[in-house]
Amino acid sequence: MMVLVLNCGSSSVKYQVIETSLALIERDADHALAKGNIERIGTSSALHTYSPAGRETLSEGGEILEHRQAIADILRLIADPERGVLKNASEIAAVGHRVVHAGERFDRSVLLNPEVERGIQACSELAPLHNPHNLRGIEAARRLLPGVPHAAVFDTAYHHTMPPHAYLYGLPYVLYQRHGIRRYGFHGTSHRYVGWRSAALLGRPREHTRLVTCHLGNGASVCAIDRGRSVDTSMGFTPLEGLLMGTRCGDLDPAVVFHVMHKEDLTEQQVTALLNKHSGLAGVSGLSNDMRELLAEEAKGHERAHLAIEMFCYRLRKYIAAYAGAMGGVDAVIFTGGIGENSPPIRERSLRGLEFMGLELDPERNRAAVGRAGEISAEGSALRALVIPTNEELLIARDTLRLVEHAAEPAAGVH
Amino acid sequence: MEFQKLGIVGGGFMGKSIAQKVAASGIDVVVLEVSKPQAERAREELAASLDAEMAKWGITAAEKQALLARVCFTDRIADLAATDMIIETVTEDLATKQDVMRRLGATCPPDRVFITNTSTLSITEIASASGRADRVVGMHFMHSVTQSPIVELVRGAETSDATTATALELARTLGKTVIRVFESPGYVVTRAMIPFLNEAMYLVLEGVATAEDVDLGIRLGYEFKMGPLEYSDRVGLDKVLGWMEHLWRELGDFKYRPCPLLRKLVRAGHLGRKSGRGFFVWVDGERVSTTPAESRP
Repeated sequence: MMVLVLNCGSSSVKYQVIETSLALIERDADHALAKGNIERIGTSSALHTYSPAGRETLSEGGEILEHRQAIADILRLIADPERGVLKNASEIAAVGHRVVHAGERFDRSVLLNPEVERGIQACSELAPLHNPHNLRGIEAARRLLPGVPHAAVFDTAYHHTMPPHAYLYGLPYVLYQRHGIRRYGFHGTSHRYVGWRSAALLGRPREHTRLVTCHLGNGASVCAIDRGRSVDTSMGFTPLEGLLMGTRCGDLDPAVVFHVMHKEDLTEQQVTALLNKHSGLAGVSGLSNDMRELLAEEAKGHERAHLAIEMFCYRLRKYIAAYAGAMGGVDAVIFTGGIGENSPPIRERSLRGLEFMGLELDPERNRAAVGRAGEISAEGSALRALVIPTNEELLIARDTLRLVEHAAEPAAGVH
Repeated sequence: MEFQKLGIVGGGFMGKSIAQKVAASGIDVVVLEVSKPQAERAREELAASLDAEMAKWGITAAEKQALLARVCFTDRIADLAATDMIIETVTEDLATKQDVMRRLGATCPPDRVFITNTSTLSITEIASASGRADRVVGMHFMHSVTQSPIVELVRGAETSDATTATALELARTLGKTVIRVFESPGYVVTRAMIPFLNEAMYLVLEGVATAEDVDLGIRLGYEFKMGPLEYSDRVGLDKVLGWMEHLWRELGDFKYRPCPLLRKLVRAGHLGRKSGRGFFVWVDGERVSTTPAESRP
């Protein structure tokens, strides 16, 4: 079955065409035929980048004013006689949509219908920067592909298994009851994917494995996975909490917010932008939110690049050890996301000091595991460390397929 | 209606602020100024205002760049013909606004809606010059346009339901809450505010308290963001005087009669923040000192 996977942002659409089936999943042989993205939607200089598997990537510029036009452009390219991967767009049998926030309404992926869409709409209050755009994409895709089922796969759903003592804040309980103030967690599809994928590499059953998965990209989060289930995660009510990120501050004493607003005479909108867009690696270093750039500058002696990297690694190390404590131990630490998959020095520095937990890093393996899966701990290390490239789109396609074929839910929402 | 491109007449303070807000909502903007140098100055001022917002961490450098790329400044009225809707923001003067309406009416397709941004003038009178009074509606943007959550939507005598609906859609796109108002001098917010500002000025004139203490009392006592005198200084005392004179003339009630201290300050060129002195002393747009000595009781 051909599944179109869509991830719609405010002015962008990322997509993949994935061929999957229950038989292919069984052999772990489902794969993307093409992937691409459209940026700067809403302008006359939108950019469509399209990569059919095994062929040359191409970029086209032009006017794309809204999501519907963007998705129409995707359908045109993937079924193009020369550059396409399908004979006809009608080969698409289902569409899987990434949706950021499901609140407490959905604990798993669901087929879209008007009621589900109203539910997603209701969660927009919790994710005003994401859900409305996801919905816009759903609406546009449904109009263009009216005859096929559409499914929603939520970022928050995987963390639905967290216990209340992990997801509640130390605030008056009534705020949870009235406004849903709690930890929801994000990057759920990525944590779920690498958690599942690690079982084969570790060679031990999920039922006996405790993992700390580290999704380290421009946004970054850590997840404690106990026997296949998320039991805690570092992002909270919004993606602002937890690790130091590219431009987000991560954990912060909330009193700082009011003090800074008062001292700098900032509005709510300004302080929100400060915490989300001007903080983290970029804010501390004063240079960049790009870890590669910071590592290069650190090597030249830039002190605050060094400080930002140290803060990033230190906070990650704290979370890994804390989650080990939360689960009563940990069997493996998994790295994924742009930084997690590609930066041996960051992995090495984040794990430094965890030898007391039985970790022995293999520097050679660590250097070699770039952009591909592999173990980076030494042979015989009690706590193991792995790199696993994430593939959220594949899980979105698989969930969509299973919903369409009414296939059984994977155990504990794993793969 | 999906707005792709909006026209704005006047690149002054309000015009620039509205352009910034509209562009931040993802809509292209064409700003009309009277001459090329004026248009260039307006562009530089918008860039400076975005720099100030960056210094407050409100936007990033990339957002500033994207926003500036959406706004183009021109001195040719014909450039407005291809926009979805036009907002005029020229000086609060009936004859000037009517002249703009006349020129817009002659330039733009007949179905185009014009919004006039005014805090006190009659929409009906302004619209009468446009040759399409049913397609003109008033929208009073509050200071500051980028922050304030509300606008007053004012129907003139001829404004059609369809025009009102289009303006409501624009307000929604800009994230503004609308209060709907029938035409009346000063509408709601200005009319309710003016006697309050005036009374604060009388308190200083009568020597009851310093400007500093009047503002402090109101600000802390009623949880206002700023006191009435700082507000007046920020808006511009000449502008506040203009509002008062207009309401005094139109409504004839003594409560709108401008306080003599306000007149005195305006005549002396002490216009508030923009001139560096009003009820308070201002340096680089910031209030730096307490009340000037002669205003103390």
